[in-house]
Amino acid sequence: MKNNIVKVVSVAFGVMLLILGSVAVVAVTNIRRSIATSDWVNHTHAVMLETDAIVSSLHAGEASLRSYLLTADKRDQVAYRGSFTEMVEHLEVAKALTRQEPVPRSGILRIEELVGKRIELARDLVRTFELQGEDAARKKLQADAGSTLHGEIQLVAQKLAGEQQELLRQRDKASYLQAQATRWTVWSGLGLNVLLLFFLGWLISDDIAARRKAAAALEEANAILEQKVLERTAELVKANENLKKENLERQWSEEALEHQLYYSDLIINMIDDHIFVISKAINISRVNPAVVHTTGYDLAEIVGHPMSRILDIPELPAGDTTAQLRFDQAVKEGREIQGRRGRLLCKNGAAIPMYFNMVPLRDQNAVVGCVMTVHVRQKEQADAG
Amino acid sequence: MKKHILSIDDEARICKLIDTVLTMEGYRVSTAATAEAARRIVQSDPPALIILDQQLEDTDGLTLAAEIRRTLPDVPVLLLTGMVFDTEVIEEIIGKNVSSYLPKTSKMGAICSEVHRLLGDTPPKT
Repeated sequence: MKNNIVKVVSVAFGVMLLILGSVAVVAVTNIRRSIATSDWVNHTHAVMLETDAIVSSLHAGEASLRSYLLTADKRDQVAYRGSFTEMVEHLEVAKALTRQEPVPRSGILRIEELVGKRIELARDLVRTFELQGEDAARKKLQADAGSTLHGEIQLVAQKLAGEQQELLRQRDKASYLQAQATRWTVWSGLGLNVLLLFFLGWLISDDIAARRKAAAALEEANAILEQKVLERTAELVKANENLKKENLERQWSEEALEHQLYYSDLIINMIDDHIFVISKAINISRVNPAVVHTTGYDLAEIVGHPMSRILDIPELPAGDTTAQLRFDQAVKEGREIQGRRGRLLCKNGAAIPMYFNMVPLRDQNAVVGCVMTVHVRQKEQADAG
Repeated sequence: MKKHILSIDDEARICKLIDTVLTMEGYRVSTAATAEAARRIVQSDPPALIILDQQLEDTDGLTLAAEIRRTLPDVPVLLLTGMVFDTEVIEEIIGKNVSSYLPKTSKMGAICSEVHRLLGDTPPKT
């Protein structure tokens, strides 16, 4: 979108520059043509003026010549000579002006030819006047064939002037058309450029509006994203706090259990009575230090071994009225035994009489073993008693 | 201003955990490992609540609670111990020198709730 706008604007400005350049070229060309036309008009006027001057000098020379022939006044002689000299000078100028133009040049050359004849006739009259006298000159003057030449010169001059006038009209028309074309070119170029400027203005304003809209949409999206980030951050902070609390709770539980276990072990280990934990398979699972101390066995020699290694519990005779159960049966059925007698077997071979209590050890509802409390001292005291 | 809680326990890890949790709950916590250190804090910076263990190096919690009650009769004391007491004994103890009793096996959340209750605070929303 952005690149397209830039391309369109660039192309439009390029077209505007091209139009301006074209208008400038056309205008400069037409100005040059106008200058050339103006020069040509001046030139044509100069040719016409020189032609008129030739005819005027001819008239003046003719008049002065006639006066001289009538009066023999030297001033008239000077006058006609001067007029003829001027006529020749104008003729030379006219020839020079029409050097590049065949049509008017042929007219000028024709005038030159006629003027030459007229000058020759004048010389002949003057010669006759000076050699043969006034009457002979008058006769020649009366029979002047110069009047024919004079009229022919005027005709050629008028024709030349007419041709030049016609050329002037054509140039004037062409000049008018050129001016019109220049005017149209300039106004058309200006109009096109104005239209292009309006188009570019509309295009740029439309693009700015689109960009503003896009910027607003982007800003809104950013705000939404920022809000989501804040919400997510808050969730993460909360989750982190919860996790930290859970972790602390777990650490607390571990510490509390460890603490509790430590005190429980401390209490059990301080008891003088002999404590046995017996599994359902009638093996020893755990004992307190009093058992190790009394029997002389190491802990490794006790734990995991059958109960019978350390405890001798005689079977009850059949039909015993106390109706006490067999030890293993009591363990399996989860029943208690109170005050039953037996012996504690030591590593050195000694057998210490004792009596014990047994309570089942339950894990939830299942019996997993039993705990025995063996009383040696009380038995000894009882025996002593 | 944050309320000041004094935690007395001879186990450093227990003190550290109580400090961390109650600081998160918005309290200022001091810890003491012995009765002597606890007495100094009570004198210099009287707490709004005392959390006390029963087993201490130089005395026991109930004796120390009775001593503190003479100095700060209105400050609640929470006995937090691993030793389990009978209900009747606890009621009798609470009636004398201890405001409340919790076993150390209690959940930390329960301990925090009891602290809030004793201080008359609203628990922070989670």
